[in-house]
Amino acid sequence: MTDDEIISAVLAGRRQDFEILIRRYSGKIIHFITRMTQDRDEAQSIAQEVFLKVFQNLPYYRKENNFSAFIFKIAKNMTLNWLNREKRTVFFSRLLQRELDKAHFRQEPPRYSLHDPNEREIEITRNLLLLPEEQRLALILKVYLEFSYKQIREITGWSIPKIETLISRAKSRLKKNIGLQERSREFVLNARKK
Amino acid sequence: MNCKKASRLLSTYQDRELNSALEQEVELHLRDCRACRTEWRGLQELVGSLKLLPPPAADPHFPAKVMAGLQVKRAGKFRLLPAAAYALVFLTIFLSGFFLQLSFDSAARTEKPQAATFTAVLLENQGLRLQAVHDNTLIIFAW
Repeated sequence: MTDDEIISAVLAGRRQDFEILIRRYSGKIIHFITRMTQDRDEAQSIAQEVFLKVFQNLPYYRKENNFSAFIFKIAKNMTLNWLNREKRTVFFSRLLQRELDKAHFRQEPPRYSLHDPNEREIEITRNLLLLPEEQRLALILKVYLEFSYKQIREITGWSIPKIETLISRAKSRLKKNIGLQERSREFVLNARKK
Repeated sequence: MNCKKASRLLSTYQDRELNSALEQEVELHLRDCRACRTEWRGLQELVGSLKLLPPPAADPHFPAKVMAGLQVKRAGKFRLLPAAAYALVFLTIFLSGFFLQLSFDSAARTEKPQAATFTAVLLENQGLRLQAVHDNTLIIFAW
């Protein structure tokens, strides 16, 4: 059964068929939101809201469009809203100096050795979160969801050159931050000497 | 193709989004240029590292939770009914207090409003009416 057939059935009154769409897309949607927020519990609850919103907006879905882009567009908007709310919360709580009293602010930041796979994972997660929001969004859609630039354009509304630039900058920044940059620069210099 | 151009195109080449002519040019350049090849390996290593992050474990109850959420949302339409009932009770208390006070006021001034109609009393006691509204609001808020 294709997405469009399921949507027609749901709109005709077979609400239970919506569960097929949830099963089809929930993994990808939760993966996307988890990578964007780096918070698995919040990702689950945002994903639930996404599906509720998709259900409410099904009558506005046009068959000539791609359903995957439709659902990811909603997921992207809801995730960015959540991130903005979070930023405001952190800002105000820091303003009130609540955060400064917490133990983790007084402790030394943990140092990771990148040889341990788990620590490497933590380092990547942390650096992904440090990327500017648009770069992170473009990179996650490309690397983890494996969308083409055209599909990313449908989801975000950005032009293809902008997507190219965002992804390229995100990769450069990550390379630099994760520590690969130094190593590859050495290789490049050595190679050029030879 | 020079190194500068190749370096700029490497990310798009990696994403397999270049047209075939440009793709061939990049490939040819990578074959000849050791420095760009190293940069390319760095990019490959980065994306490999990014893909190390496993997707979050799937919650088998997730679809059921969403479907239950849909039911609640549908039932939510009828939640307006208790809200309307509360509003009605609130309005009744507010208005009854207001008219009760108004009747006390007009009873206290029996010599004046004998010939006056109810509307006249209302107009005459404009100041008292405002006072009554104010008092009732305070009472309701206190309650």
